[in-house]
Amino acid sequence: MSLHLQPVHVATGSDDIESQLVFANGFLVAVLVQLGEHHQEEAGKWFLEAGFGRVDHPHPPVFTDLDAAQDWIAAQLASNRP
Amino acid sequence: MYSASENRSMTMLIRKLESIATLSDEEHAAILGLPTRSRTLGPGQDIFRDGDRPSQCCLILEGWACRYKLLDEGRRQIFSFHIPGDIPDLQSLHLHTMDHSLGTLTEATMAFIPHENVRTLIQRFPRLGGVLWRDTLIDAAIFREWMVGMGRKSAYGRIAHLFCEMYLKLEAVGLAAEHRYPLPITQVELGDALGLSNVHVNRVLQEMRAKGLITLRSSTLIVHDWNELTRSSEFDPTYLHLAKTG
Repeated sequence: MSLHLQPVHVATGSDDIESQLVFANGFLVAVLVQLGEHHQEEAGKWFLEAGFGRVDHPHPPVFTDLDAAQDWIAAQLASNRP
Repeated sequence: MYSASENRSMTMLIRKLESIATLSDEEHAAILGLPTRSRTLGPGQDIFRDGDRPSQCCLILEGWACRYKLLDEGRRQIFSFHIPGDIPDLQSLHLHTMDHSLGTLTEATMAFIPHENVRTLIQRFPRLGGVLWRDTLIDAAIFREWMVGMGRKSAYGRIAHLFCEMYLKLEAVGLAAEHRYPLPITQVELGDALGLSNVHVNRVLQEMRAKGLITLRSSTLIVHDWNELTRSSEFDPTYLHLAKTG
């Protein structure tokens, strides 16, 4: 599974702007948004703003860095869950 | 030990019931005479757990509690927030096995009233049975509003609606005034109640602050623009049925 990141700005309606589109084999599978200062101890971490297909999650996680986010996304894509 | 009382703790229940109905002197006296056993728990403690078979009702005297259910991977859905005067497990009088848990959110003091005494009270004063029934029906009406929120409202609409609801509930029992009230719950708890991530809760609170709608500091919420908060969340207080029926 090869993931590819593409930096974008996302209009979240907040100060959380810096974002990455995440592609798997050319398909968009997730949008990660970096949390701004107003998130205090979570600031700088990456939030699963949107996940598609197997990456969709009712309890979207926050990741320490982009590596952790990509590991999680790859695991979701490889899982057999419906 | 249960103590029959000229029961200071029961005045909280009377205050609650009088927010939705009018009580006679005899009904007052009968409620004050209920035997109760008080207990104080720290925050985050279970009062009753899913599957328990309680033999008493729990009246909240101080602090906040919630009803909730736990799912896999630590996921939690909070169904309702409870404040002094509420009997969140009144249903246990008729539904003998708890189908969810009841826990404290803050340090909280509860008065436990044996089911048999509540049943006797209702037999002696059938109209009080009607008032308690009315309370459980309002409880159901609140669930319907939460369902509308989670199914059809934005994160902003859900949070604003809850802020309006809690204000009117607290005001009805004399615990809030002038659009200001203690809100001793965390962002995570708000998210668990409204089906929102902590990130979304945080963004919405920032937005409300930036618009000058609210101040939320040191667990106190001040609503600066009540009309805008109710308008933007489509809040119509009818479902709280706070008008007395006599």
